[in-house]
Amino acid sequence: MSSNQNGRRSVKGPTEQMKRRTLLLMAVCGIVAFIVLAFQLFKIQIIEHDRYEADALSQQIGTTSSIAERGTIYDTNMKALAMSSEVYTVFIDPKAITERNEDINLIADELNDLLHVDRAEVISKMDNKDSQYAVVARKVDPDIVEKIKSFKEINNITTVHFEKDYKRYYPYGSLACHVVGFTGSDGTGLQGVEYEYNSVLSGAEGRKVQAQTANGKPLMFTDYEDTYTVQNGLNVVTTIDSTIQYYLEKRLQEAVEKYDIQNGAGAIVMNVKTGAILGMASLGNFDLNDYLAVDEETQKKADEASDKESDEIMSEARSLMWRNKCISDTYEPGSTFKILTLAMALQEGLAPEESDNYFCEGSVQVEGDTVARHCWDVSGHGEQTLTQAVQHSCNVAFVNIGQKIGAERFYKYCDAFGLLNITADEEESLTGLTGVDLPGEARSIWWSENVFYNPEVRSQLAAASFGQTFNVTPLQMVTAVSACVNGGYLMEPYVVRELVDDNGDSVYTHDSTPVRQVISEETSDKICEILEKVVNDPVDGTGKNAYVAGYRIGGKTGTSEKVSKLADTGEKEYIVSFMGIAPADEPEIAILAFLDTPKDDGENYISGGQMGAPTVGAMLSDILPYIGVEAHYSEEEILNRDRGVPDVLEKKISDAAKAIEDSGMRYRVIGDGDKVTKQLPAAHSVIAAGSEVILYADEEPSNNKETMIDLIDYDYVTAREKLSQLGIFISTSSPVSSPDTQLITSQSIAEGEQVEHGTIINVTLRTSGGGSMIGRY
Amino acid sequence: MANPYRTSKPEEEIADYTRERQRKRSMDAPFLILVLILMTVGLIMLLSASYARAYYEGNSPISIFIRQLFFAAVGLVLMMLLSRMPLSIYKKWSMRVLLIAVALMLLVPIIGTRANGAKRWINLGLFTIQPSEIAKISVIMAFSAMICKYRDKMKTWRYGVMPFAGILIAFAGLLALEPHLSATIIIVLLGAALMFLGGSPLSAFVLGGGGLAGLIFLYTKFSYASDRIEAWRNPMTHESDTAYQIKQSLYSIGSGGLSGVGFGESRQKYMFLPEEHNDFIFSIVCEELGYIGAVTILILFALLIIRGFWLATKCPDRYAFLLCCGVSTLLSIQVVLNVSVVTNLIPCTGVSLPFFSYGGTALMLQLAEMGIVLSCSRTIPDKKKLMTAQNLQI
Repeated sequence: MSSNQNGRRSVKGPTEQMKRRTLLLMAVCGIVAFIVLAFQLFKIQIIEHDRYEADALSQQIGTTSSIAERGTIYDTNMKALAMSSEVYTVFIDPKAITERNEDINLIADELNDLLHVDRAEVISKMDNKDSQYAVVARKVDPDIVEKIKSFKEINNITTVHFEKDYKRYYPYGSLACHVVGFTGSDGTGLQGVEYEYNSVLSGAEGRKVQAQTANGKPLMFTDYEDTYTVQNGLNVVTTIDSTIQYYLEKRLQEAVEKYDIQNGAGAIVMNVKTGAILGMASLGNFDLNDYLAVDEETQKKADEASDKESDEIMSEARSLMWRNKCISDTYEPGSTFKILTLAMALQEGLAPEESDNYFCEGSVQVEGDTVARHCWDVSGHGEQTLTQAVQHSCNVAFVNIGQKIGAERFYKYCDAFGLLNITADEEESLTGLTGVDLPGEARSIWWSENVFYNPEVRSQLAAASFGQTFNVTPLQMVTAVSACVNGGYLMEPYVVRELVDDNGDSVYTHDSTPVRQVISEETSDKICEILEKVVNDPVDGTGKNAYVAGYRIGGKTGTSEKVSKLADTGEKEYIVSFMGIAPADEPEIAILAFLDTPKDDGENYISGGQMGAPTVGAMLSDILPYIGVEAHYSEEEILNRDRGVPDVLEKKISDAAKAIEDSGMRYRVIGDGDKVTKQLPAAHSVIAAGSEVILYADEEPSNNKETMIDLIDYDYVTAREKLSQLGIFISTSSPVSSPDTQLITSQSIAEGEQVEHGTIINVTLRTSGGGSMIGRY
Repeated sequence: MANPYRTSKPEEEIADYTRERQRKRSMDAPFLILVLILMTVGLIMLLSASYARAYYEGNSPISIFIRQLFFAAVGLVLMMLLSRMPLSIYKKWSMRVLLIAVALMLLVPIIGTRANGAKRWINLGLFTIQPSEIAKISVIMAFSAMICKYRDKMKTWRYGVMPFAGILIAFAGLLALEPHLSATIIIVLLGAALMFLGGSPLSAFVLGGGGLAGLIFLYTKFSYASDRIEAWRNPMTHESDTAYQIKQSLYSIGSGGLSGVGFGESRQKYMFLPEEHNDFIFSIVCEELGYIGAVTILILFALLIIRGFWLATKCPDRYAFLLCCGVSTLLSIQVVLNVSVVTNLIPCTGVSLPFFSYGGTALMLQLAEMGIVLSCSRTIPDKKKLMTAQNLQI
């Protein structure tokens, strides 16, 4: 059995050759091949791991981002000057449209209808069948998106999608446009605060980085996800007071029209104690919501020109329009600079109230000067005190004062006032910046120390003493003058006082630490005192046109020749300006208005006193009551100022008469009744003191109309009486100090117009005092 | 010889006992355990690899897995049934299976269903079968039977080469009609391996190898193939679906690194890697389980294959020996080709990974093949028992 079994097995089992071959096959199939595979896997998984993993990740990771909301820009009273509103980007999914076989024409028609996008363009976007994202329209308002959503629902459309975005909106349009600035179509700030604070305003985009499927969908389960939450931009609170800004712009615009200003104008109001800019206007301005639009005339010119020229015209017009003249343009400040010369001299004890130094015979030629420096009053001011020299804006006196100060000291004061920047390296440009937090601040232009100090070339100092031959920005002037009147402290001007996050928590508050003290408080007080006399002296004050009844205002006029323009073209052009401070006893604000190139039409005499001062006066008459400065009227002012008509209707004639007389007015009665049945003008109307109120007793005023007469160059009282005969009343916004000598310079209702009885006409008055003050001061 | 401890038994009784033992002789446990481990791991990995696509295509995430699980269950029953089938049945059916396979292959061009530009499947309603899969088993069974029959004549060309080559060429021709290159390669390699074991003259292999090399050279000249060659050489830059597939496969495998991104954590399966639960499932395995996991699975396969060959050498029956060798070789060819393709070791061709790739009939047949080996393993006399039996005789 045993041998039998063995034998059978040896026949039926594998042969030795088979066994050998099996071993070989087993070695190949079971060992060698697998070792090769293990090596190949090692190469891919270990050696080339990093490379493959990186490539794989780049296709597996998708980023979805959510846009941060741009911060709001507020004025100082938290009124929004710039805000973001939610809009949407509308896009279609062409791939899905094809896959789901949705009605291309229906969608295209609807989008064309609601979004005003070209139908053919939408259709061509749908043709790109591999794409899943084709933008149809951007910045679409939510109400339109709602309409598209309901359209989608009704028609079972699933392939039109929306993405949140933000649009910038400026509620006040052009108000403070140069300060606020604007953003480009990509939402980046391009001008003003929008540019300067772009990084804080824009916040940080939220991002979700996550693994996704090849079709861009999120994975079913995965913790491979990284989220960076959206950080909305910070809100910027500016120092701009939109009310003050409005007054500035309104009055500036009036001045531009009245004096036919050729080259734009600007105005700055600064809090002298902090350097906060309360208002900063630059004309011509533009609508921030449509910042590309130019004025009609330019647009027309561009339309007519060739394409290339048109582009040039437009870009030139835009850059001019967008230019903040208050900080980006420099000018020779002219006589307003005398405030600084005065400050230097007073601080150095070089300007006693009385001195021969101020004697003016019309011109002076200092040693080393090539030309004689003329005073605006060529006949000369004669003997004068320091105060009078300032009141007169006497160039000769100031040239002499400047000589006393000396070039070196003068220069160092200018450095201290931030008008220039003396550096160790003489080769470096000696230019100053205020450091205001606005883009595009221009640097001042000065003579170098070497030239300025050269005893053989004294002309610079002579002219510089009254503010010519160097260039500074209007903001530098306001900043320097603020230092002269606030106790001597140079402040850094700023427009952003606070950054506030979404929760209303303050992130940053401006620190109003003075840069340095330039002059003493005593000197500062003295300057204020003198500057007030420039305005409130109706006889000697060149700044009297800036006077506002009831308020203590100081200031200095300026009429600067554009020397470089004269050199270039031979044309005499001027920038007239006025630098005001108020209240003069304890200044809170400094205000500068400058008018670039009034048209010389012979009607208005081009000077800071004639154009700048009334402009600033008008501004202050709005601003001072607004900021809560209490008015204190002098007796004369109380006597002469316009007043309200009392309400005497239904009163007995005798009572009415008493009430009117108590108000400092007169009356006449028409009719025989014993009660007032009608009064002209109506109760509470504000009219000139001494006006004759008409009381009707059982009579009706006639319906006849009267023809307005020419009032120009009549004094206020005469005009009042002439109009009284016609049953017309008069009022003025100018300060009234001596109504019988103040002449009317303009009237609100033109000569020849038909007016009803009881109409009140508004006139402007020339300030009382000598009419001899005609000159460029 | 007197032994005080034994109860003397009559000779008939001993013979009965031996037969009884033989019938009840257990199948090889290590082989069975390896099969069960691989099948389980394969099923789990299939679930991991398939749920993403199933989900995003709007189906239940486990729909593919459940279907495969059903076939696995059926396959296990089939395996156990086949493992209990005596060898004689296989022997009897060897040539019939060949005929059935040929018949089915002939039917494919007539009633086959087409997918991806090739006609390889016959739809049986509930599921589809690939006749080429049956052809592979038929080659093992038929060749084994033929080798046993021809015995010493295997050395001759007439018996040892011609009939075998004839069958292979016939299959190759039928597969070329579909076309099905990978199945052709597998069947030819499988047949050659069996001929090699059977003792066919080595000169035939030299000649056949040379002829095949020539054929391959010619074949690569066709655009269908040359495109694959290009994709193989430059998977990162070549613009074709094949190159994309290879690239994505390399991304998956490479991403895995040493220890993998973690079970279930593959990101490539989210529609980046095509065929992630079919031919390219091993890429996902590499990504999720890393080099360590991938090599462990390869070792399990290698152990199963080696165990198959080892069992073969122990088989008392030549036919059983050849069956075991054939099945092990087939398993090895499939695994090695599949992994070579996904790792871009060879140009891309469609080979599924046994126990892992999705495909019900394939899994069933693979388990059936394992059942055949297990059946053969029962013929191996348990050494201890055999010794006892012999002792009894002595």
